[in-house]
Amino acid sequence: MPFDYRRFNGPEDSVSYKRFSEDFLRTYDELYKDLLDENGKRKDGRALNEARSLCTSISRTNIVSQAKGSAYVELNKTKVICSVFDPREITGHQNEYSWFGQIYCEVKFAPFSCPRKRRQLVPDSDEKALSADLKKALETVVRRDKFPNFQMDIFVYILEHDGGCLSAAINAAGLALADAVVPMYDIVSASSVAIINDQIIIDPTEAEEHLALMYTDKEKNHGLVTMCFMHHLKQFTDFRQIGSVDAECVLKVMDILEKECDKLMLVIKKIMVSNVVRQHNEHKVLLEEAKFREEVLQSKVEEWRKLLNAG
Amino acid sequence: MAGLLLSRTEKVYIVNGIEEDFRSDGRSNYDYRPIELETNVVSHASGSARLRLANTDILVGIKTEVDIPKPETPGLGKIEFFVDCSANATPEFEGRGGEQLANRISNILQRAYHASQAFNLKQLCIFEGKQCWKLYVDILILECGGNLCDAVSLAVKAALFTTRIPFVKAALMDGGDVDLQLSDDPFDSKPLVVGTAPLLVTLCKIGNKFVVDPSAEEEFCSIVSVVIGVSGNPAHYTTEKIENVESKFTTIGMSGVGGLVPDTLKSAISQGIVAAKCLDSALGRSLLRERQDICSYKKDSYGFLK
Amino acid sequence: MSDVYKVIHPNKYFNDYISLNVRPDGRKFDEQRSIKLNANAISNADASALIKCGNTTVVCGITLELATPKAEEPDHGFLVTNVELLPLCSSKFKPGPPSDYAQVISNTVNDIIKNSKCIDLKDLCIVSDKLAWVLYCDMVCLDNDGSIIDACITTLITSLKSLSLPAVSFDVETEEVKVDISNKTLLKVTGLPVATSFAIYQSPESNIVLTDPTTFEEEMCGGIGANLIVCWNQGLLCGVQKYGGGNIPTESQKNLLQVAKKRSKLVEEVIETCLS
Repeated sequence: MPFDYRRFNGPEDSVSYKRFSEDFLRTYDELYKDLLDENGKRKDGRALNEARSLCTSISRTNIVSQAKGSAYVELNKTKVICSVFDPREITGHQNEYSWFGQIYCEVKFAPFSCPRKRRQLVPDSDEKALSADLKKALETVVRRDKFPNFQMDIFVYILEHDGGCLSAAINAAGLALADAVVPMYDIVSASSVAIINDQIIIDPTEAEEHLALMYTDKEKNHGLVTMCFMHHLKQFTDFRQIGSVDAECVLKVMDILEKECDKLMLVIKKIMVSNVVRQHNEHKVLLEEAKFREEVLQSKVEEWRKLLNAG
Repeated sequence: MAGLLLSRTEKVYIVNGIEEDFRSDGRSNYDYRPIELETNVVSHASGSARLRLANTDILVGIKTEVDIPKPETPGLGKIEFFVDCSANATPEFEGRGGEQLANRISNILQRAYHASQAFNLKQLCIFEGKQCWKLYVDILILECGGNLCDAVSLAVKAALFTTRIPFVKAALMDGGDVDLQLSDDPFDSKPLVVGTAPLLVTLCKIGNKFVVDPSAEEEFCSIVSVVIGVSGNPAHYTTEKIENVESKFTTIGMSGVGGLVPDTLKSAISQGIVAAKCLDSALGRSLLRERQDICSYKKDSYGFLK
Repeated sequence: MSDVYKVIHPNKYFNDYISLNVRPDGRKFDEQRSIKLNANAISNADASALIKCGNTTVVCGITLELATPKAEEPDHGFLVTNVELLPLCSSKFKPGPPSDYAQVISNTVNDIIKNSKCIDLKDLCIVSDKLAWVLYCDMVCLDNDGSIIDACITTLITSLKSLSLPAVSFDVETEEVKVDISNKTLLKVTGLPVATSFAIYQSPESNIVLTDPTTFEEEMCGGIGANLIVCWNQGLLCGVQKYGGGNIPTESQKNLLQVAKKRSKLVEEVIETCLS
């Protein structure tokens, strides 16, 4: 890896201490045994078909004061923050005039977000792939014809990764776009499942995702599927699958994900509404507080207005 | 391909034709264009193949190197894909123009080959936790004539089929180092087992129908396409009698701007898996024939690079 | 109307407020914003803390790694601090490698921490010349609304204080390393540096010192960040940095140090309550 002169670097040979602990090299079979307890529940107490709830009290929009629109999404341990900025003109003479607005997406992991290793500060191929997926999911939803030759920047930062990163990123970006009042065709929601040994696990954690993609000699279905869905138009905007899954299972998963996304949609709507209400109330309080100051300032503003009118 | 100029009437012609199951070059919606394939074209590579699908031209070379396995997977080898879009292919690839496309293709390949049921990385292990083979798959796109993903995956599988890995004797030395001994005989090597390696099939949605193997003009008319990776059937890649292995999806992805109704996507992937199975058996047959030809008599030198 | 006024005449808008002895957000000149601190917010990190000073939000996460010490300092561990100003925290930052400003911030934070000697690097060494801890401390700014260095230092100290190192056994013969995660000891942190930022506004009459400035105030005072950073370490002055802006009026010098001292006391208390 090239040396990064702009940052402080640690020693080259440093390795995570977790590599020397006992559970680092656990085999597939060992991990599989631990996947479910005797009641058929997962480690965090959920049933196989139970998604983590997108907590309406914690997940919110308008979290970054400097951005046009922003959102924070939390699914138990997975924490994702997203902000959207005002469109800016696409410059550079080599670019042709584009009749559609462009979307630029960047997904980044925090260095401390992953449980297995430290993420590097320079973007790696995982992050680039996630950015491309996010772009694919959002390009379809945003009314790009409304801002020709302008580019909109969408930044997603994953503070903590515990599975379902892409779906959390899409949900956060959808909320942030709505918060930034960007015209969209529909609200997007995304959801993911893991398939481990023919069992379909909804909204997997990082450990479950790891197991689903682990190297195994088993012939059964293993894999991860993430889907992004537009609720009212009943369309997929993105569909990603990796692993090895047979056709029957893929079709089954599609139906399940569609239902999950529908459920999620209600929650997302609720978050949006509650945020509008909250922002409205906050605004009122702020106005009340500022009243005195505003009044004093008003005389100055009046002066300025007179000046303006006088030309 | 933005370098392509199509008038409105031409687009309407293509879209309406596809609606009638009749494409501008006379194919039906399920037909591939003729494919030319040649293996072992680069003598310095461990395995290589050149594939021409109508105007799409791909050269794949495979390099093997000894590497240290990843600490989390001590018993597995490594495989990496590099796609290079030659500036000859289309003028847009000049400078950094092809980078995005190259990244996309190598990403899809990496995902498709990731699954254990698609490509067995255990065969690349030399000494567990210490040494393994690393395959560098270098893909050179010489000309773009539509349907790059499918062509690339076919060429990669063909090149992997011809790749031979030297037999290595490994012994653990004092202090944890590994001593590797290579035989002098270049034929003292084993071929890779690639029967299950995945093939990619792009399904392009044009109008209301999906077509396989879109030409560059057809790609221009479509707004959304589905790329699926389907693992192969090893029975097609050997002369011995072995059991058929059911094909599975190793990757599914969407590209382009546009959404799909669930039922459409379902029919698309079912159409894709049929196409992938046909391609797989055809590729297997021709690769076996070529291998036999080489064994039975010295191959006449002909073709592109020889 | 005042919103429009702010956009069109930001300088005049700001000056009008200052001349009325009040700041645009209603604070007095030497008043700071409220602090919210949350330790161990991120469970995947070995230690972490989140701070909110008004709108400014910074998360610090520490990841532990093992490495061989440098040959010239065989019994020293490593403390690597980086500040990331993400493109998402403000439209001023673009994706890609860190800008000059980000490097300045990163350097300042690193200097303050190194100079305060709150971590003895010798504590991080496990076996001399063979094995030592590397503490990667990444401070990530999620929302940049001024006085970012104050927030960074506070999160960093909070997370260092909550960090515990797992027990490591090193076999000298075979060089085998074993880590026991269940057995952890707290890292020793001596001292508690607290930085306080000031912006100095050159009004026509006199120079006015603003405590804990927001981004808008920082911009109005010239320069890209705070103009003055005063650092106190448990009742001792441990550093003063001045970056551009106006001159400091003599009469406010003493007062300014007192404000910073008072704030450092307060932040100390906040950290104590947060960790207890």
